[in-house]
Amino acid sequence: MTGYKQVSPGFRKGPRFRNSLLSRFVLIVVIAMVLLPIVLPLTFVASLAISSLLFHSTPKESAETKLPNYGSGIKIERMWHEEALALHGKSSSDKDQVLQRVHDKYPEATLFWVDSDGKTQLKLPETSEVPDYWSTEKVVAYMKQAYDSDPFTTVAIIGGGEQPTDEGFMVLELPRKYMNHTPSSNNNDGQFYGMYFFMVIFALFLLLAYWFFRDIQKRLRWLEFGMTVTGKDGLPTRIIEGRPDEIGRLEQAFNHMVDVLHDSRRKEREEETLRKNLISNLSHDLRTPLTVLGGQLYSFRKEPLSPAGKEMLELMEGKINDLSGLIDHLLSYNLLTSGRYSMKPEELDVLRIVRLSAAAWYPLWEKAGMEIHIELPEEPLIWRIDEQGFRRVLDNLFQNTIRHARSGGYIGISVLHSEEGKAALAITDHGPGMSAESPAKGAGLGLQVVDLLLREMGLVREAVSANGTRVIISQK
Amino acid sequence: MNKMQTQVLYIEDDREIGEWVSADLKDRGYRVTWLTSGEQAVEEAKDCRLAILDVMLPGLDGFTVGQRLKKQYPNLPILMLSARTSIDDKLQGLEFADDYLTKPFHPDELAARLEVLLRRGGTVALENEPLRLGHLLVFERENRIVVEPTGEEIVLTGKQFYIFQFLLRHLGQILTKEQIYEAVWGEPYLDGDKTLMVHIRHLREKLEINPAEPSIIETIRGIGYRVKS
Repeated sequence: MTGYKQVSPGFRKGPRFRNSLLSRFVLIVVIAMVLLPIVLPLTFVASLAISSLLFHSTPKESAETKLPNYGSGIKIERMWHEEALALHGKSSSDKDQVLQRVHDKYPEATLFWVDSDGKTQLKLPETSEVPDYWSTEKVVAYMKQAYDSDPFTTVAIIGGGEQPTDEGFMVLELPRKYMNHTPSSNNNDGQFYGMYFFMVIFALFLLLAYWFFRDIQKRLRWLEFGMTVTGKDGLPTRIIEGRPDEIGRLEQAFNHMVDVLHDSRRKEREEETLRKNLISNLSHDLRTPLTVLGGQLYSFRKEPLSPAGKEMLELMEGKINDLSGLIDHLLSYNLLTSGRYSMKPEELDVLRIVRLSAAAWYPLWEKAGMEIHIELPEEPLIWRIDEQGFRRVLDNLFQNTIRHARSGGYIGISVLHSEEGKAALAITDHGPGMSAESPAKGAGLGLQVVDLLLREMGLVREAVSANGTRVIISQK
Repeated sequence: MNKMQTQVLYIEDDREIGEWVSADLKDRGYRVTWLTSGEQAVEEAKDCRLAILDVMLPGLDGFTVGQRLKKQYPNLPILMLSARTSIDDKLQGLEFADDYLTKPFHPDELAARLEVLLRRGGTVALENEPLRLGHLLVFERENRIVVEPTGEEIVLTGKQFYIFQFLLRHLGQILTKEQIYEAVWGEPYLDGDKTLMVHIRHLREKLEINPAEPSIIETIRGIGYRVKS
């Protein structure tokens, strides 16, 4: 944690609350919680409003609402039967009285009673179309017709429940519109609209929450996209910073990281240039005096000298060359080991490069009086190599043949094929062999440079010492 | 060969080396314009046939000077002299330079390289003196080859002439089959191409006393061909 603070001292613990995603999320939740108790009653009100709106819209039904309601048929039936039971053994006038009382209570009802002889006694109202005399067939037909129809009809035997008492029967007819409705479809509709309203509100909340998270998602995706974009140098580039909330902070942090990364890359490059310059300056500073020395020695040759003096001059010239080679190896080695030498590997014909290099060394081998045996096939040998690096490898190896294998008087360059058909380049000499050489002569460093370069190109060097040395270069 | 006409531009900031090299080149018959910095290079190069540049120079470095010279005089051969040998420097220098020599160098080698560059540019051929190659006298300026004892003139076909000319321009140098083919035909050398071999055989039939044992165009087995001076 302290380390993080050191890197970015300007960072606060988090974004200001009012800018944060948290605050926005909390706001949505609070709105939802505050609105819910309001919305629930609101749905009832709305449902009522909608159903009343529907009632008012049809005048026929609005009139109906003003009709008196006498409750359910069961209730009326029970009352009627109780009255009938109470009339057991009572006189006709008592029966008339009861009917009158009931009629006062249900003025819209039609009431009448029939005595045991089948004669209609009292009918209320008087105008009712009730037959004066009831035969058995008439009663049966009436009962059949009245069953479960409008008006609602209930027949009670006077004086007894189900048992005929010989006292007649009494009838109450009441149009069903004055009774309880069967569960109304209007009421149902109102409830439905209320639910609907509630669901709309609920969907609205869902939508709000969805928008909120989709916005976060979108910005996160943008961030991800921005983080994967790399510039010309292979490093990620800065991204545009948005709202200063949590994601915004993340964007800032990312940009900070990108800056640090670019900074370090720049420093690295500066160091690289510095090192390269240092090496080339060093090379220059070492070689310039050597060149002057060589020039002076060359001028010396024009002076009259004894054979011994000439021999000494030649020796000195040889040493200057050795020293120059050593400087070259040393600096190349430095460049290679520090990874400052940039390889540009390409698919190239190795033999073409070998021929070019051998052509340059040929006169030197001739001068050293060596037998030159170059046997290279016409077909190209394609390896993935860095041309400059490979030439350097050949130069170092060919130079070694002159420096250390001159006595063998032989140089051979050929292509070998392994049992698996893998082609390899072989450079053969008849010198005293690698083991006989002392590293102080500079061969060690030169070969190290060779090995480093070969490794970078995915190649390997093997040395076989038998009647001279055979260096074999092949692909790994 | 008379080289008094050959003016060489030499840019070197180190006094000791500069004095020694220009003295040596004068001894070898060149006229030398020696500058210690690259600022005047473009003006001074006007009458020169060749430029020798040091890479490490105060002010403008050798690469920059070389690029300017090449832009102004595309045909001027440039030889870079450098104390820098870091492997990738060499490539950068050779992009415009015609040759490259690292310090310390032997004056004989410098002289040999200069001659190759001048010959390649056709500058030496401007001299009337014929080139003696075994039994042949080659008048490069007139594109004429004469058999010395008989005075008989040898007539070459187009391709034969171009091959021979290319070999002469690189007198003493070994040229690979690829180099010759690509310079003469101007297209990439295909593996196992027999065309060049056939042309060399015909060329030898005309030039050599005994084509079976060539003495003018030497075969360097496994590499290519060479015309020895």
